[in-house]
Formats: sequence, C-alpha cells, structure tokens
Amino acid sequence: MPLRASLWRHRHFYLFISPFFLLFAVFGLYPLLFSFYLSFVKWDGLTPQTWVGLANFATMWDDDILRDSLWNTLVIGLLYIPPMMLLAFLFAQLLNQPWLKLRAFFRTAFFLPCVTPMVVISIVFGLLFSSEKGVFNYGVALVDRALPFLHLAAIPWLNSDRWSKVSVAILVVWRWTGYNMVLMLAGLQGISEEYYEAATVDGATSLQRMRYLTLPLMRPTFRFCLLLSLLGTVYMFDEIFVLTQGGPGTSSLNFGVYLFNLSFSNFKFGYASCVAYSVALLVFVAALLVSRMNRQENE
Amino acid sequence: MRRQKAKTRPPGDRRRAQAGALPARLALYAFLLALSLVFLFPFYWLLTSAFKSQAQIFAMPPQWIPAPIRFANFTSLAAETGLPRAFFNSVVTSVGHVSLALFLCSLAGYAFARFREAPGNEALFAFVLATMMIPGAVTLIPSFLVLVKLHLIDSYWALIVPGAANAFGIYWMRQYMRANIPDDLIHAARIDGCSEFGIYWRVALPIAQPALAALGIMLLIGAWNNLMWAFIVLRTREMQTLPVVIYLLQGEIRTPYGMLMAGGLIATLPLILAFLLFQRHFIRGITAGAIKA
Repeated sequence: MPLRASLWRHRHFYLFISPFFLLFAVFGLYPLLFSFYLSFVKWDGLTPQTWVGLANFATMWDDDILRDSLWNTLVIGLLYIPPMMLLAFLFAQLLNQPWLKLRAFFRTAFFLPCVTPMVVISIVFGLLFSSEKGVFNYGVALVDRALPFLHLAAIPWLNSDRWSKVSVAILVVWRWTGYNMVLMLAGLQGISEEYYEAATVDGATSLQRMRYLTLPLMRPTFRFCLLLSLLGTVYMFDEIFVLTQGGPGTSSLNFGVYLFNLSFSNFKFGYASCVAYSVALLVFVAALLVSRMNRQENE
Repeated sequence: MRRQKAKTRPPGDRRRAQAGALPARLALYAFLLALSLVFLFPFYWLLTSAFKSQAQIFAMPPQWIPAPIRFANFTSLAAETGLPRAFFNSVVTSVGHVSLALFLCSLAGYAFARFREAPGNEALFAFVLATMMIPGAVTLIPSFLVLVKLHLIDSYWALIVPGAANAFGIYWMRQYMRANIPDDLIHAARIDGCSEFGIYWRVALPIAQPALAALGIMLLIGAWNNLMWAFIVLRTREMQTLPVVIYLLQGEIRTPYGMLMAGGLIATLPLILAFLLFQRHFIRGITAGAIKA
C-alpha cells in the first residue's frame, strides 16, 4: 500500500494522538528550547533580553549559594535515603508474611502520609519540631528526666544549622517510606514462590534465602526506588519551602527551592535556566550511573 | 489412604519452627504497631489541633485530648478567610485536570494499542516515552511565560491544561488496552457500523475502567496537593487553591495555628477518604510506576 493511502487509512490514529503532541509542543518542546536559549541571556521577564554568551555559566562557578544548595541536597539525601529504604524494605518484608494479621491497617498507616498535602503536613511538623513548645522536645525532656545521665537537652530542630537538615530528613522519611514500601511489596510479590520452595528443600536457612534470593532478585526494585529518591531529593520543594524556607540561613536550602527563589523571587530567568539545565544534565549522568552500576552487578 | 493424608500435612520440623516463632511474631507485631502509631501521630495532632485554641496548641505539657473542644477555628475559617472558595477552586481544577488527562491519555493510549500497523506507531510511542525524561525544573519558566502569553495566568486553565497529555498516562493506558481489549471485539463493533471514536468511547473505555481508576487516583493526588505550580500561576485570592491559601495563612508575625490546622484537616480529609474507599486502585496505580523501571 502506498504510504499516502496508508496514512489516510490510519487518519484516526494520528487524530487521536495529536492532542499529546500539540500540548507537548507548547508545554514541553518549546519550553525546552526557549530555556536553552535563556541560558545565554540576562533577563528579568520585563526589560529587554541581553545576550551574555557564557557569562551565566561563569557566574555559576562562583555562586556560593548554589554550591551550598547542592551540598545540602546531597546531605539531606544521605540523611534520609538509607533509613527510608531500610524501613520501607522492612515493612514490605513484614507485610508480605502470610501469617500477618491486621495487614490492611498497617499498610494504611504507613501509606497514608503519601496522600496528604505536603503543605499541611509541613506545618504540622513545624509545630511538632517547635523548640520550646513542641511535642518532640517534650519527649526529649521526658527521656531526660527518666535518664538524667544522658544529659539530653532540648533540640533546636528548626533553629540551628546542624539540625535543620535532620528535621527535613525526618519529615521526608515519614512522608515517603510508605510509597517505597508499596513499590517493594510489589517487587517481593513478583518473586516466584518456587524459588523459595526450592531453596527450602535444599536446606537454605531464612537468612541464606534473604541473602542469596530476595536481595539479588529485588535489585531492580531497589534501583527504581533509588532513582526516584535521587530525583525527588534534587527537585524536592514543598517539604523545605514550607518547613524551613531553606533556613536558618541557607542551612537547609536544597536545589529545588534555590531554583524556585532564583526564578520567581529574584526573577533571574536567564541565570535560572542556565542553572536548571546544568544541574539537570548532572542529575541525568548520575541517574545513568546508578542504573549502569546496578546492571553490572547483575551480570 | 492414611498415608496420602499424612503427606499433605506440613512437615513436622516446619511446624516446630512456627511454634518457636511465636514470641518473635509477637515482637514483630509490637514493632509494627508502635511504628504505625508513630506514622499516624501527625494525623492525630492535626485532627486534635483543629479543635484547640492557640494557647491549647502550645500548652506544655501537651494537651493530648483537646479540652474544651472548640469549633471556633472552623467558623472563623469560613468567615475570615477565602477557604470555602479555595476548596471550590481545588475541586474544579483537580477534577478538570484529572478528567481532561484521563480523556487524552486513554484516547492516545487506545490509538497506540489499537492501530499497530499505522506508519510510525512505534517511533512515535518511543518519542512519547522519551519525553518523560525531561525534568520539570527545566521547562518551568518558559511554561509560565507561555501561560502569560496566552493570558491564562490566574485562570483555572493554568492548572487544568499543562501536563494533561501525560506521557506516563499514555504508556499506562496503552499497556492495559493492549492486554485487555480483544481485536475481535473491535472488528465486531466496526462491522456494526460503529465510528472509530465510537469504538473508543463505547467499547474500549468501559473495559479500561480499572486502569482509568488507578491512573485517575494517581493524578488526583498530584493535582490536589500541587503547591509550587499553583503558587506560581494563581495570583488572586479568588482563584487560589487550598494548598496556596493554607500556605499564605501563615503570618509573618503571628500564625493562626488553630485555623491552619482546621483548614489543613479540610484539605486532607477528601484524599484520605478517597484512599480508604479506593485503596486497591491507589496501590495498583503506584506499583504501575515500577513496571516501567
């Protein structure tokens, strides 16, 4: 059949998929190209654009706040990803036990944080973290009274450079553990029962089954969770924007909030585009490395 | 006969292991119970604080059960803030966005699943998948500028349209329709004189309902909770959605926490109810993301 006739015969196909391509052209492709152009421009959105060549990239090298925000992003990621993954895997493993009762209750309790508006929950945590009148420090005071030799003092959760990142990490663990748990639960249920039966027949202990069966077979799921967390950390916004606004100082400012401030508080559209592009490239390479690394391990 | 019966029973050593595991199991139950209470605690605090005064919220030692229970937060929310209007805005934009997205994604997903011989089907689908890699942070500013040009800033459309033709949604609908809609059914509908759109609307969509529910709920969480984009594109009090209004209720000097908690409760309840009602779809929708990994 000649191509034209074939195209005409399948006109409904092109008609049905056209809304995607139309919307993508307006809100995907054009922004992608325009943002690339903006990377070489100085512009506040009102006055005329001026071409500055590579000056934005040069500015980036000396941008201390950008460096801080990237460093904080890394630290926050390292603070929350390991405990979150561990907890999520533990929950998934336990909820996957055939003898477990109250499964629906536990699953709901762990998953509920994922469906709540981040704004609301950040404000609630702001109350709980309050240094003089917060429930968390009340708990610390109770422990101090019971075990005075530990010399516990009220923790300045949101008021100190050292603890602000920890507070953010606690909030993020609370919010995202259930999500990862559900992903891991799906991964665990995807492992064929026959493997376990065969291993049991061969006399493998439960520890050996975990080490040589579950963990290797779960690697693709772990990789997926890790990738999501990686992206989630870099572009995290609501959590920090509401809980700490990046403060005190820039101690909990991550990349997502920094980029937002740059774009919509300082209106540096050109420079912000340049930073967004560069970091996206960096993240892309990191994501590639994560998946590459895992694939090699599998072989 | 007796022997066969004995064979079907679990081996003796496994039974003994189970009996010995009882204390371990109790410990695990205690562990799960304790942690689920920890995870539920912020909800409890949200719920109780909504019925407290400012002084009660900051009382030391903490007031675990509000006494007296006050409803003033809710009445002053209704009287002094734009919260009722914000609730309405949130419903309109979320329902609008989810409906449009479900329509466009299922239409395109159906086309990709159905017209397999159409020239370019596979290449175009690969292109759709590739667009998922574009980070939103890069396209944020130009997308905002596009809306400015189109005079859509501060309108419901600004939240409804961008992202409505969602690449993941197309992928998700295509996979489901490919596996679950038999070709014979489509042929039969065509012989009966059904138009192509009619086949999609009357044959494919009803079959794809579970997939639509899962996708719809995923999109709903995102749309209902959206703060950043709504913050950027909605400028006036009359148009702002719940997350934005709640965020802005925080004062520079004095924040009315009781009212905030009451508003937060109102913003949180719909999704919690939806979750409890459609739990199965929720969970399936999220695990669907894992398939593409």
